[in-house]
Amino acid sequence: MKRFFALFLTLVLAIGVLAACGPQNNENASSNGGGSDSEGDDANKPEKLVVWEDTDKGIALEPAIASFEEEYGIKVEFKELGMADEIREQIRLDGPAGTGPDVITLPHDQIGQAAVEGLISPIEVEQSVVDTFTESSIQAENFDGKLYGLPKATETPVFIYNKELMDKAPETMDEVYDFAKDYTKDKQYGFLALWDNFYFANAVLAGYGGYVFDRTDEGLNPQDLGLNNEGAVEGTQYIQKWYEEGLFPKGLIGENGGSTMDGLFNEGKAASVMNGPWSFQGYKDAGIDIGVAPMPKLPNGENFKTFIGVKGWHVSNFSENKEWATKLVEWLTNEENAKIRYEKTAEIPPVKSLIEDPVIADNEGASAVAVQSQYGVPMPNIPEMAEVWEPAASALQLVATNKQEPKAALDEATKTIKSQIEQNHSN
Amino acid sequence: MSPKMQNTVRLTLSYIAIAIACVIILYPVLWIVGSSFNPGDSLSGSSIIPKDATLAHYKSLFNTAESDYLLWYWNTLKICIITMILAVAMISSMAYAFSRYRFVGRKNGLMTFLILQMIPNFAALIAIYVLAYITGLLDTHFALILVYAGGLLPMNTWLAKGYFDTIPKELDESARIDGAGHFRIFWQIILPLAKPILAVVALFSFITPFTDFILAQVILRSEEKFTLAVGLYKMISDQFGNEFTTFAAGSVLIAIPISILFLSLQRYFISGLTAGGTKG
Amino acid sequence: MEATERQTKHRKTALALSIIPGFGQFYNKQILKGLMFFILTVSFAVAFADLINIGLWGIVTLGEKLPRDHSIFLLTQGIIAVLVILIGLVIYFLNLRDAYLNGRNRDLGIPLNSVKEQYRNVTDQGFPYLMLSPGFFLLIFVVIFPILFVILLSFTNYDLYHSPPANLVDWVGIQNYIDIFKLDIWRDTFLDVFSWTIVWTFVATTGQIAIGIFLAVLMNQKDLKFKGIFRTIFILPWAVPAFVSILVFAGMFNETFGAINNDILAAFGIDAIPWLTEPFWTKVALILIQFWLGFPFIFAMVTGVLQSIPDELYEAATVDGANIWQKFRGITLPMVLFAIAPILITQYTFNFNNFNVIYLFNGGGPAVSGQTAGSTDILISWIYKLTFTSAQYGKAAAITMILSAIVIGVALWQFRRTKSFQEEDMM
Repeated sequence: MKRFFALFLTLVLAIGVLAACGPQNNENASSNGGGSDSEGDDANKPEKLVVWEDTDKGIALEPAIASFEEEYGIKVEFKELGMADEIREQIRLDGPAGTGPDVITLPHDQIGQAAVEGLISPIEVEQSVVDTFTESSIQAENFDGKLYGLPKATETPVFIYNKELMDKAPETMDEVYDFAKDYTKDKQYGFLALWDNFYFANAVLAGYGGYVFDRTDEGLNPQDLGLNNEGAVEGTQYIQKWYEEGLFPKGLIGENGGSTMDGLFNEGKAASVMNGPWSFQGYKDAGIDIGVAPMPKLPNGENFKTFIGVKGWHVSNFSENKEWATKLVEWLTNEENAKIRYEKTAEIPPVKSLIEDPVIADNEGASAVAVQSQYGVPMPNIPEMAEVWEPAASALQLVATNKQEPKAALDEATKTIKSQIEQNHSN
Repeated sequence: MSPKMQNTVRLTLSYIAIAIACVIILYPVLWIVGSSFNPGDSLSGSSIIPKDATLAHYKSLFNTAESDYLLWYWNTLKICIITMILAVAMISSMAYAFSRYRFVGRKNGLMTFLILQMIPNFAALIAIYVLAYITGLLDTHFALILVYAGGLLPMNTWLAKGYFDTIPKELDESARIDGAGHFRIFWQIILPLAKPILAVVALFSFITPFTDFILAQVILRSEEKFTLAVGLYKMISDQFGNEFTTFAAGSVLIAIPISILFLSLQRYFISGLTAGGTKG
Repeated sequence: MEATERQTKHRKTALALSIIPGFGQFYNKQILKGLMFFILTVSFAVAFADLINIGLWGIVTLGEKLPRDHSIFLLTQGIIAVLVILIGLVIYFLNLRDAYLNGRNRDLGIPLNSVKEQYRNVTDQGFPYLMLSPGFFLLIFVVIFPILFVILLSFTNYDLYHSPPANLVDWVGIQNYIDIFKLDIWRDTFLDVFSWTIVWTFVATTGQIAIGIFLAVLMNQKDLKFKGIFRTIFILPWAVPAFVSILVFAGMFNETFGAINNDILAAFGIDAIPWLTEPFWTKVALILIQFWLGFPFIFAMVTGVLQSIPDELYEAATVDGANIWQKFRGITLPMVLFAIAPILITQYTFNFNNFNVIYLFNGGGPAVSGQTAGSTDILISWIYKLTFTSAQYGKAAAITMILSAIVIGVALWQFRRTKSFQEEDMM
């Protein structure tokens, strides 16, 4: 009897497997057909284009869309999504399903990853269009030798001070240092910066001659790290000085440093800080009369090479109307619409002609960011950058807490980054 | 030492120990409450007794134009209540089956699930995300409720089964002789007797959505669907410009209803876990 | 002789006919039941044919053509298809069994059940299954499905460079497992992280259990007053969502600005302790926080158990001249441990995987030179870092599987030692 059952079960299983194998070719064939159908009608004008915009920024998009609709007769719809990760996660799913957008916005440091994953496609625009943007912002939009989008806004850390505690922005860091030496006592601080966070610290390291990845004509070279070169070590020594002499409190180190620093500045306990334009509003809301300036010059006479973050417009790889989507991207970033964006959202477009325009030049905050952007370097946008943040931050923290000397810490970090890149990005 | 003296010493020591414990427990709690009344945004500037106490943070939470807090509160309550009902229904019926019937998998079934739940599982987030997407349940409260209810089953069924085991089987049998069916015995005899453990299970189910921000973040995509935990977590996880004091105010408003619930169910709580614990 | 021959015939024929579900029942003249089996099978086949077809093909190939195929979706559908097939097989097996048993009954000359009796039979024997099935069904999707997903994922090369929609994921066998043991960083860091994980699990959990039991025993003294108030206070840490408390603690432990250093330790004249920058003190802080977070649950459980211990036991012990400590050791502790042992085990495994407290308190920091893990990272938070920063999903799954083997192994071993699980009546 047992044997009988065993036989039956085998039979059943076999039938199951056979049944599964059979029609699979049909399925293959049918959806092959479906795929090619939908690719046919391309050159024609689409009825509408869909745009995914950053949250709360749609207000700057509306006028641009209206004029685009008028000009080309193509309807444009937009939806607001969180830019940091929501847009990327969502398009991963909606893209293949065919319900995705034609144009999306991304921070430029995600470009590499998005391109590797095939979420966005390279675009082709006239050189004259490219030339209207600042060089660094176009660099930021380039990956693997191809242009992947046009920049819509840029941001970079600047020097922010409390006008009640500091008369005017100093010219050099030596002045800041002297001021801080004098001013810092009893939980009052002359100047604060999150220099255990690589995003901010790199400005110092790079100012002294360090770099993350070497930039060649073909783009960034992930094999050539400049995090432990002489300049980087010197920069780290400078950072070390601020911590060692107690000008930066120990409580500023670590994960929650950002909120600690904001808190101190908001309560008038810090005379000046290094922070990005995203913090302006919060400081003003806290009732601080802030002044904003480009970062003062480093002791070696160089400027801070702050990381520039560029938000760009990109064409979705899943779009069926890439040409028109590219047109829309050009439209959204042209001078007129860039200016509207600035006026509506205070985001600073890296359009050359606008930086000199009085609307920006006369605004202290905006012009400080614009000027500082000229000294800065775009954050690396290749996927290998993901391996840099943690080890680099560890090294800085070890230096800040006096556990390791700059050279040794940076050497370790470089070693870790190299082996991580080798393991995770060797394909 | 006389026995009386011994007693006094023992009691005094006990009170001292309890007082120390109370201080340690209450200090952070009071601190949250204190900072929720502090002006300003940050943690560093807050103190336990604020200088110029303000209700501004509470006001801004209740200002629907400025914050989605009330919406989140409503979402959370909705999810909590449905999760609770669903979980209690399933847990009590499963526990009943485990307690009273013999069937395939009775011996190891529950334990298998208990152990499987110990697997540290980040990749499960991907799996649940994709599953929700395929079934069209992404960004719905329904999906979240199902996941919460499912996650609650093994442990709570185990607790409930322990309690059910303490209810004498003779009761079932006499009811059966009187002609009661399976379901009627469950519904009219067992369930009323199992109130304490059901209260405990209900409480556990109710607070789960209040405390989880990871699963909810994976499943819920749009801000107007957020639960309190996700919303509050986003409020503080911004590395720059986070609003700690508002966050504290939001947390106080979460803790109050949960604490009240704990208090009102305390009686059940102890007796429910008693039987469930010792036997089960 | 003839009778036996006929007997054999019925059961075999019924079984054979049942290859097409329902027909065996028809042969047994149980038309209604047969019809039910038949309809069930047909509708099953119709409803799931597509799913099973695509699913099985998908799980074998993980997709063949881009952009049509999305490997992760196919993997998911494949798992669902396998689960559906298993359910189908169970029904099919029931059909065969039913036909065979009824055929045998006919052979033995036992009259078959009437429709009414069949119904009674189903409700009687099926009742527990009926009660279990909704919960079981949910568990399949919430617990089993994700685990299957992870197991399968650990045999794929799913990472940044092999991720949908731009690329297909492939089966790579045990490559991930081999890689893990070849990685330098993994090897170097593993021992540190693992030993801290063990210390953390053991100290934090044992401590919270000890505190919980201690307080519960204290509160159980008959002549103690204000029990209600105290109990309420003791349960408070449980009522506040853990992530809220952890974040508050992170602020309170801040070295320069936190209340612990500034208010409490200063009041006792103790110098500021570097809670967040020295590994040792961060570990101490984490363990203390976990005590705070974890003891109320144990407290509640033990309070329940204590009330069920009969007074006579203590009275008898008093007569024998036992002191408080002896009573505790001899009566209370064994009773409590016996009753809640399984819960205690789950507490240990919970802390083994306690990602929240590590991650939210200090992000696993402070940093350690030359490692990808911070000094307070436990295995689970380290995995998170290793994988989510560089999208190594396949490797993450493999590491998860190795970890799971450890956790499950220890848990099983402990459960087996626990008496309350051994009694047949328990499970």
